[in-house]
Amino acid sequence: MKSAPAEEAVYTVTYTVSGRAITCPGGTFVLDAALAAGLKLPFNCRQGLCGTCKSKLLSGQYDMHHQGGIRPKEIANGMFLPCCSKPLSDLVIEK
Amino acid sequence: MSDTLHTLLTRRKPGYTLEAPFHTDPAIFQADLDIIFGRHWIYVGVEPDVPDEGDCMTVDIGQHAIIVARDDDMQLHAFHNVCRHRGARLLHTPHANVGNIVCPYHQWTYGLDGNLKFAAHMPENFDKACHGLKRVHIRSLAGLLFVCLAETPPNDFDAMAETLTPYIAPHDIPNCKVAHEEDIIEHGNWKLTMENNRECYHCSAAHPELTRSIFAEGFGFAPVGAEAEAQAGRFHAMVDTLHAECARHGMVSQEIDHLDDRITGFRTERLPLEDAGESETLDTRVACKRLLGNLHEKRLGALSLWTQPNSWHHFMSDHIVTFAVFPLSPETALLRTKWLVHKDAVEGEDYDRANLTAVWHATNRQDSDLVGKAGAGVRSSGYRQGPYAPDTELLVEKFSAWYIGRMAAGIGA
Repeated sequence: MKSAPAEEAVYTVTYTVSGRAITCPGGTFVLDAALAAGLKLPFNCRQGLCGTCKSKLLSGQYDMHHQGGIRPKEIANGMFLPCCSKPLSDLVIEK
Repeated sequence: MSDTLHTLLTRRKPGYTLEAPFHTDPAIFQADLDIIFGRHWIYVGVEPDVPDEGDCMTVDIGQHAIIVARDDDMQLHAFHNVCRHRGARLLHTPHANVGNIVCPYHQWTYGLDGNLKFAAHMPENFDKACHGLKRVHIRSLAGLLFVCLAETPPNDFDAMAETLTPYIAPHDIPNCKVAHEEDIIEHGNWKLTMENNRECYHCSAAHPELTRSIFAEGFGFAPVGAEAEAQAGRFHAMVDTLHAECARHGMVSQEIDHLDDRITGFRTERLPLEDAGESETLDTRVACKRLLGNLHEKRLGALSLWTQPNSWHHFMSDHIVTFAVFPLSPETALLRTKWLVHKDAVEGEDYDRANLTAVWHATNRQDSDLVGKAGAGVRSSGYRQGPYAPDTELLVEKFSAWYIGRMAAGIGA
């Protein structure tokens, strides 16, 4: 999909609904960084299966390895799974 | 109840309508669901209902909620639409496209093959392999989808498929799309909906749109009087001509009837249409410019197909109309109609949806009204069994005889 995430880079992930902006290293799953920062987000399987964490990405690039928890059509419509995605740039998420 | 049902089945008079309890009694309704809909091949829809990987369709057969799914290898599966955790219904819309089937309650996650892939908070010794979705048998008959809820389905599906596939295949259902679909709730027991379909005694009075193209004689109608006999003679000559023409196109057409001598009963015949002879439309011409499959000839009449207990279908050169009946309650039934055209046909260019659906949209409403009248009559205290016309209602008798026979076998009578 995209080039491999730069492990050493640190990105800003902004959540528009809660108004929080947190940092997420390039080697960390977006969901893990959010949970570590104390955000309460819906999630379940943490392996790209169940789709519970599915979120709308307003801007940014990511590297996702899901297992059927999201459809190509949903991805085309701007959705992604934070539990199995690592940032490749700053991200803005509608959550 | 089983004694009463046993008695009613045993004393059924061939050639006569069923007694009132078959159309009204909640216990017999439940027996219908258990024996007829629970242990036979039930028509539920078409492959174009689930054309792509991850497509799911939900169908309710009485209290049995079913998912039909197509996996990422394009294989078809069917399951009970019930989570193995706390029993919640999994999918709630008629159609969905999913990567996995995820329960909305606690997110138990199943693959499109029904295997449980994820369940949070369960103990270490929890065996996911024992908690896959409960499977339902599914088969495609040249694109028509049938399910069987029984553990061991009737073993004559392959024989039916072998016979019918050459008839249906030229119409190429897998390369169709559902252009229109409509559900009607009919106010009569499901068997009244089926009985109404199995005769054309009522056609000339009730169906001005349908009889523009079809001949009642193709549905058992026997002529009375010189004029009717002349018309029947014309019809039979047209049948012979059509069958000869279709044979030249390599298509089989002749009548095959196993409505009451098989567990999986069916009947088929390609029938001529009036005037232009192309399609069941108001002007008897094709409603869709793009013909089905690799067909080049518009004038192929209509291939009629009937299956026991719950379907009938009309295949023309340009479109297919397919009907499924599902019991809802002792005195209501769902009639689900789908109009199929070639998947590449473009609405507004190749076909006009109103023109495509005009005949059967009107006919369904007329039939629904008649079923409602029959339902109202048979629940009245004055109802007594009435005689079927020996030839004109022969297919009704075959439906009732099949039903009685299968119910008797089901209760071990």
